[in-house]
Amino acid sequence: MTTQAPALAPAAVSRPRTARRARRLPAPALVSAVVLAAVAALTLLAPLISPYGPLEGDLAARLQPIGSPGHLLGTDGQGRDVLTRLLHGARPSLLAGLLPVVFAAAVGIVLGLVAALGHPRVHTLVMRSLDVLYAFPAVLLAIAIAAALGSGISNAIIALAVILVPPVARVTESEAMRIKSADFMAAAQVSGAGRVSIALRQVLPNVAPGVVVYATALVGLSIVYAAGLSYLGLGVSPPTAEWGVMVSEMQQYLFTAPSLLLVPAVAILVVSVAFNVLGDGLRDFFNVRTDAS
Amino acid sequence: MTSPTETPETSGAAPSRPGAPAPTAGPALEVTGLTTTFSRGGRQVLAVRGVDVSVGAGESLVLLGESGSGKSVTIRSILRLYGSSARHTGSVVLGDQDLMRLDAAAVRAVRGRTLAMVPQDPNGSLDPLRPVGRQLEQVLRLHGVVADRKAARARALELLALVGIPSPPRVAASHPHELSGGMRQRVAIAIAVACDPAVLLADEPTTALDVTVQSQILDLFGDLQERLGTALLLVTHDVSVAADVADRVAVMYAGSIVEEGPAREVLENPRHPYTQALLDAIPRPTSERGHLKAIPGSPPVAGTDFHGCSFADRCALAQESCRTQPPALLPVADGHRAACPVANPVVAA
Amino acid sequence: MTKFLVRRLLLSVPILLGVSLVVFITIKIIPGDPVASMLGPTSTPEAREALTARLGLDQPLPVQYLSWLAAMFQGDLGQSIAQQRPVLGLVADAFVNTLWLTAFSAVLAVVLGLVLGAVAALRRGRVAATVSNALALFSISTPQYTIGLLLIIVLANGTGWFPVSGMYSAIGGGTWGDLLWHLVLPGITAALVPAGIIARMFRSTVLDVMSMDFIDSYRARGLSERRILWHAFHNTTPTLLTVAGLQVGYLLGGVVFVETVFSWPGLGQLVFDSISKRDLAVIQSGVMVAAFAFVLINVVVDLLHSLIDPRVRA
Repeated sequence: MTTQAPALAPAAVSRPRTARRARRLPAPALVSAVVLAAVAALTLLAPLISPYGPLEGDLAARLQPIGSPGHLLGTDGQGRDVLTRLLHGARPSLLAGLLPVVFAAAVGIVLGLVAALGHPRVHTLVMRSLDVLYAFPAVLLAIAIAAALGSGISNAIIALAVILVPPVARVTESEAMRIKSADFMAAAQVSGAGRVSIALRQVLPNVAPGVVVYATALVGLSIVYAAGLSYLGLGVSPPTAEWGVMVSEMQQYLFTAPSLLLVPAVAILVVSVAFNVLGDGLRDFFNVRTDAS
Repeated sequence: MTSPTETPETSGAAPSRPGAPAPTAGPALEVTGLTTTFSRGGRQVLAVRGVDVSVGAGESLVLLGESGSGKSVTIRSILRLYGSSARHTGSVVLGDQDLMRLDAAAVRAVRGRTLAMVPQDPNGSLDPLRPVGRQLEQVLRLHGVVADRKAARARALELLALVGIPSPPRVAASHPHELSGGMRQRVAIAIAVACDPAVLLADEPTTALDVTVQSQILDLFGDLQERLGTALLLVTHDVSVAADVADRVAVMYAGSIVEEGPAREVLENPRHPYTQALLDAIPRPTSERGHLKAIPGSPPVAGTDFHGCSFADRCALAQESCRTQPPALLPVADGHRAACPVANPVVAA
Repeated sequence: MTKFLVRRLLLSVPILLGVSLVVFITIKIIPGDPVASMLGPTSTPEAREALTARLGLDQPLPVQYLSWLAAMFQGDLGQSIAQQRPVLGLVADAFVNTLWLTAFSAVLAVVLGLVLGAVAALRRGRVAATVSNALALFSISTPQYTIGLLLIIVLANGTGWFPVSGMYSAIGGGTWGDLLWHLVLPGITAALVPAGIIARMFRSTVLDVMSMDFIDSYRARGLSERRILWHAFHNTTPTLLTVAGLQVGYLLGGVVFVETVFSWPGLGQLVFDSISKRDLAVIQSGVMVAAFAFVLINVVVDLLHSLIDPRVRA
């Protein structure tokens, strides 16, 4: 065939649709990125810019309200400066939220690729095992694992990573299955490329953007859970400054100094909202669908 | 929505159900100077540029064109399906009503009642969660053509039989996914003809179907027209479909009609360079290898502005004047009009 | 339909076995000798050995696992060392309490989620939609333990409008009204995250369905926009059901934070308390029950799904 028949192009409906694809990162996502960058900067600079030491308390100046002279965000029940603890608490709080997602993404991508590209039996085995993990209510499972391993930030990170692996693996698997059926994959197989080579060179680069976007959206949740574990006493333990620990400490003064509770609460909320908005924005930007369930 | 306006059938423009169509005074549907403009990202996109078509009762007119030529937009505009997302000028006269002047409620009373549409893809056009019989009954009751639920059910079964469905009760109880593509399209046609419309609009009704099923569906259109006297305006990109069903053919290019006339005339003796090129580009069993002629260039993107002929850039005959003066659709033979003064120089009107 | 149900139930058996295995292994990982903690630091080695043998803890692990499974099948969940009561009764009571909280929040979450989602979808591009989207986003981002405390500050502290802990009032409590009154704050707290998830899902599903061809066909048949909307909503129900079911499932075991903040004597709190007391039998039974309920809810959801959407029965 030397000619193509342009007049008889395969039936396409001539029906205008509004272009939904946004080619710029939406403004809310940009704002979130800026907020997160600022939080990261403050976190790194915490030891330099904090007015006091995180454990340094003045029992004479307990429960100072927000806006007190010398204590911008007040002092807690042991007279420690809340702003200082907030800044110092950012590092463990953010790490305990981010690292589980990083670990879960690494494990989940491998599992998802193995399931999608491996033998059908391997696929069944991996996916059914993930179903088992899915059957547990996530929070309860995290608590049980964290408790089994003993309290401490690293165990909390492991516990959260375990509950985040199944959704990441599922997203990877469904993306990889979709790509597997694409034409260029058949071409790669015909050309004799090996399984591992196909997985790394053809599938992974195509799966990665979707999974990374999905993982970004998980960070917000992970930060909330991580601080929650510390709040329950299963993560970072007092007196170390950490946002979940701060919430649990402030809870005692719920009726005497309620506004102090707002400080760590707002900090967790801001970071979690920012990650969720960023995740939404990235999803629209890369135009990926991320339905885990 | 309870009492639909009395329809042009009463005016005698369209004949009643049984019997062959009587030759009638005016056309069942007359579209004059129809334009459709979408506003897309602040830009005004003119998708239909002044289309004139008319179909008489029992007659079938095929709107033939490539995808993107504006043919589907035309029939969707006739039904005013774009709502507030498009602006229209011109008129769409159905019996004694101009659809472009009616309010939304009055337009709804016409849709599915006197002016019905057979959609393109039968897989997506039926509600997947409701049995097809219920969807058929709904239209009947909506437009008040049956007295009650029981009558609706009986009429629905009749209609399914009318469109050649072998076991109507079973099919009526089925969900769309349980039916084959051809069956689904028969159901969609049954829904379209349920209220005995004066005019049937069909948007590529066979494109999604197997070739063998295609011809059955096209036969069904002919059969129904004969029995019901319905006017048919069918949109297709497929010349063989046009040859199969059309009494008259209108060829559309870049939002306007470039040639229009009796089907045989247009398809065997095309007068517009575009129509000629379109027909030359069809592979035929008789044509030798390499004899297919592709049209050079590609069709203009919807919304391109033209000063002259929209086909000039791809036309072998194009002259300087083609680019400056928009060609009018002028008679070239009996009932045959073409918008190309170069190919059809002096023709006595 | 029966065939579908049977097949679905059979599919959940291996999942439940897997769940039990994970629970068993998790419990085995927990450091420390359970016998020593049961008998206390002053116990003699002989007494410990005797108890170890009596509990079957000297058996190989697979044997221990199987006998635990067998006992569970007979309704024997063991004995709580902390409370000196059979675990079955303890877990059952706590589960019922959690069920109340879950049911209340589920209703709240679905109503709130549908309203926010519908507004976001149908008023697209207007202020109301932006506000709805923002509310949905905030509710999925809010930690339950802080929002619960904030609700206490705003709605209970000072005003005394709502009780802040427990299920019933100490004096004159025990009535249905009293229970409902106690449910308000924990119920709202637990409902926020699922409400936000349902809202976001409902919004995107409504928009998806509204862009489908059959909606246009309905329009071409002359249906009013209101009736078209009704059919569109009908077509969102399969997705809605799946997501809402999943959320209810999560609520059943995921309200630990809420139960802790509001001292709600539910399953989450029971498990959490048992952790600090090393009450292993209660932990493993509590987690098992939550997972079991979750799997069961999924079966029910699938069943309802197949009733609404005939396509999945095929």
